[in-house]
Amino acid sequence: MNELGKLHQLIIPFLGRDMTFNIEPILMSWIVFAAILVFGYLAVKKKGIIPGKLQVVGELFVDQLSNLAVDSLGEEIGKKYAPLTCALFMFLMLSNWLGIIPHLEEPTKDLNTPLALGIMGFCIAHYMGIKVKGFKRYMSAYFEPIFFMMPLNLIGELAKVISISFRLFGNIMGGSIIILVVSYLTYSIILPPFLNAFFGLFVGTIQAFVFTMLTIVYISVQVQ
Amino acid sequence: MVYDIEIWAKVAAFSGAGLAMGLGATGVAVGEGYTAGKANEGIARNPKMAGDIFKSMLVGQAVAESAAIFALVVAMVLLFSNFTADSFITVIVLFSSGICIGFGAIGSGIGSGFPAGEACLGMARQPEASASLVTNMLIGSAVCQTPSIFALMTSFALLFSNFSQSPVSPTWAAVLGAGLASGIGAIGSGVGGGLVAGASCEGVARTPSTVSLLTKSMLLGQAVTQTTAIYGLLVGFILLFKTFPASDSIVPAMALLASGLCMGIGAIGPGIGEGSTAGSAVKWIARNEESSGVILRMMLVGQAVAESTGIYALVVSLVLIFVV
Repeated sequence: MNELGKLHQLIIPFLGRDMTFNIEPILMSWIVFAAILVFGYLAVKKKGIIPGKLQVVGELFVDQLSNLAVDSLGEEIGKKYAPLTCALFMFLMLSNWLGIIPHLEEPTKDLNTPLALGIMGFCIAHYMGIKVKGFKRYMSAYFEPIFFMMPLNLIGELAKVISISFRLFGNIMGGSIIILVVSYLTYSIILPPFLNAFFGLFVGTIQAFVFTMLTIVYISVQVQ
Repeated sequence: MVYDIEIWAKVAAFSGAGLAMGLGATGVAVGEGYTAGKANEGIARNPKMAGDIFKSMLVGQAVAESAAIFALVVAMVLLFSNFTADSFITVIVLFSSGICIGFGAIGSGIGSGFPAGEACLGMARQPEASASLVTNMLIGSAVCQTPSIFALMTSFALLFSNFSQSPVSPTWAAVLGAGLASGIGAIGSGVGGGLVAGASCEGVARTPSTVSLLTKSMLLGQAVTQTTAIYGLLVGFILLFKTFPASDSIVPAMALLASGLCMGIGAIGPGIGEGSTAGSAVKWIARNEESSGVILRMMLVGQAVAESTGIYALVVSLVLIFVV
């Protein structure tokens, strides 16, 4: 059970500070990027009115996720953020599925990945809020209902980043700990494939969808 | 009689295992009982569906059971692993990890009973929607398990972290507080998430054509409902992984313990409240599909206001950790 808590880090001194890189999540993210690129290439290689199998899957993804973005953000902004929605969902889903392959790990198991994506969503949401509503109306939202609620509104906004990223991290990390411990207790007999199917495929897909949808909802709350 | 630290560690491991399984079983039993009751109601209404209802009751109960299985796993680890007790901290760590998963399993157990029960009843009312009811129920119950997974994570983080370098005096309170924060904090969100999923299954039975909209709204409602459980997890992790300076005074220790209790108990109310907000919203989306946009926006605003008390608890517990 010593596999818990093992971490390979690359530490590079830079301008008097140590820059720490967690090698495994970076490597695993690159594997996911490569998989998405290969999928995208194969899906559009033979484009046609009568789509091939991969093209159907690709169109399904793009269609459903664009609809999701357009439904909650409106026609104009929704179209603009549809590619982000598709990319975010496919990256997260493949990341969460990666753990079912032996010797590979979910990049989302490291808190840094979900936190980075959460901060990205936060920045986009507030940028769009300022752009669409104007700085004055954007700021006035913090002083509702009364002016002294400002600090709590501010903490509430920051807490959104924490909650969205810890939700993903907690589910994926928790799932992989359960798989590891139960496999250890049962000497890897019978149970692990079912646990992998439940926590890797099922919960992984649901959490990828939840993360994507919450990112869009945070943007739509700022825009409206 | 004077006991040495090894004996105390055994005592803590055994009592922690007992509390983990004892507390962990209560919620699950309540939830499964609710499911079985609703299944009986469904069979009484529509005896022809008895076979299908029985099957979906068993599936729903099996998913609800997973919270108790998490508690069982921790109890087994506590009972059968040999922990090297190097200080008084180990004693508290073993006890704390037991109560963490014990409390954490209560909410998810009760919660995931609701969707299973409503799905059984819905099958009796609307036999054609059986397949989408079962899918919706499985997704809802799986998301209900999230708070108990958070508690399980803290439990294992407690068991497998190395505290041998930490000073005994405030650290013992920090590890106990960590267990309480994420354990008790998971209760409300588990129950609340169940209310949302139950309402969604009821809605699918009423208007089967809205199933994809209802599943989407359910996931959104449940995700927001879990926020306070995530605050509990956050406070638990800060308490676990921050190193506190050694102190002979009891004041810092009590502050850390209080911060765990504050976040844990403070998270119960918002969890249940936000769950009932989202539950009503999802219920009425099924009845009035056209207004779903307005209802969802109102739901998010209402949940944000209900959550403000959870944010007060988070602020106070962070003040207790970092300022006092």
